[in-house]
Amino acid sequence: MDQFITVVGALNEGFWQTLKLFFFTLIGALPLGLVIAFGSMSKLAPLRWLCRALVWVFRGTPLMLQLLIIFFVPGYLLPGGTPWTGENGRFMASVVAFIINYACYFSEIYRGGIQGVPVGQQEAGQVLGMSKSQIFFKVTLLQMVKRIIPPMSNEIITLVKDTSIARIIALEELIFAGYSFLKGSHGYAGLLWPLFFTGVYYLLFNGILTLFFGWLEKKLSYFRV
Amino acid sequence: MKKVFAFMLAAVLMLGCLAGCASDTSSDMKYVKDKGTLVVGVTVFEPMDYQDASGEWKGFDADLAKAFAAHLGVDVQFQKIDWGSKVSELDTKTIDVVWNGMTLTDEVLAAMETSNAYCKNAQVVVVKSDVADQYQTADSVKSLKYAVESGSAGKEQVEAMNASFVEVDDQAMALTEVKMGTSEAAVIDLLMAGAMIGEGTDYAELTYTVSLNSEEYGVGFRKGSDLAAELNEFFKSYYASGDMMKLAKEYGVQESIIEQK
Repeated sequence: MDQFITVVGALNEGFWQTLKLFFFTLIGALPLGLVIAFGSMSKLAPLRWLCRALVWVFRGTPLMLQLLIIFFVPGYLLPGGTPWTGENGRFMASVVAFIINYACYFSEIYRGGIQGVPVGQQEAGQVLGMSKSQIFFKVTLLQMVKRIIPPMSNEIITLVKDTSIARIIALEELIFAGYSFLKGSHGYAGLLWPLFFTGVYYLLFNGILTLFFGWLEKKLSYFRV
Repeated sequence: MKKVFAFMLAAVLMLGCLAGCASDTSSDMKYVKDKGTLVVGVTVFEPMDYQDASGEWKGFDADLAKAFAAHLGVDVQFQKIDWGSKVSELDTKTIDVVWNGMTLTDEVLAAMETSNAYCKNAQVVVVKSDVADQYQTADSVKSLKYAVESGSAGKEQVEAMNASFVEVDDQAMALTEVKMGTSEAAVIDLLMAGAMIGEGTDYAELTYTVSLNSEEYGVGFRKGSDLAAELNEFFKSYYASGDMMKLAKEYGVQESIIEQK
């Protein structure tokens, strides 16, 4: 029982890192994704190609590789040394990598959502004398939000599990905390069950998210198009 | 859209300035003293670096590192790292020193500025106790299928004897492979084997048989760092005062300590 309490305490610490990474990624990637989505639909060709190239690179390479590059390369190239120092260095590097990576995925979902709203809706707005920004925020965006909820919930649930990739740069998240009991942590070594037990945390958290997205979808169901 | 573009451009320029404006540091010791913290890169490894129930860092290496930091007049911070990335971690200054029962292999000597050897070690073959009597000679262990830590001295040994092996993240995982039967044997450090396997441990069904070599532990700094010479001086005085042996006895490694002179 003592062992169980110690292990759960350590896993909670790891889960706190996982949660922080999850929420910071969402806070950064949800708006950045919209910016990239606009960029990749822009009439300005260089900007459009820049955004599409960004999406291509970040969707086309493994997140694990992006983490390693973002963590180590600045230390080799910047004359002032790595920006990732101190207690939070690894966390900051992880947040940057996750935000850019997830913003690229989100941007494609947004783009699909925006372009999927029928042109007739915008034309109706024009007929009513709405300005361009009014049409976007009051007509297109609201309908897009409803359309993108199922694919977004898919990505967001994947994000919960992807946070475990950050252990490649020794961020002490949930899997790292569970794994450390195999090597020796808090006075125990050679324990395999804490690693398996982390699955319960992911399952419970994703259960809550699933309920939340189900509720959200129902809440927005009055937008019948 | 223009605003966003202008903002992005500004951010890039600012980053460039930050990088360019930072001062250059020629002495590594000065860099660490100015910073006020010695960041020690470790994996978890009994009896050298490990955490007790309250999370406090303990072990022969951990206590030595604390003493050296006190000698420099800086704080000590232990940072868990991925062992395979230890040279990159040093070079990019995310850690200042690798102090983790590190074997002075040719690869390590080429990539780091190392201290004098302070502790003897060997790479030993770990097998399940019930088959141990079949694997008591250097020839008999060549046919085993091994698990070894990637980037470790143990891996160099299994490569040298042309045995088949799989590389895992760390030595504890190599032991677990043997315990679970997914590999037949592991090659790990003698000091670790003495502390972590056998009766009364979580690896009670394992034992070690053949020593494949004899080798020495050292401490690794960034290439060209003046901290290595400083540590050698510190080791001499710490050994001469008897403190080093006292510490070694506390962790049961007194047999392995190398005289510092």
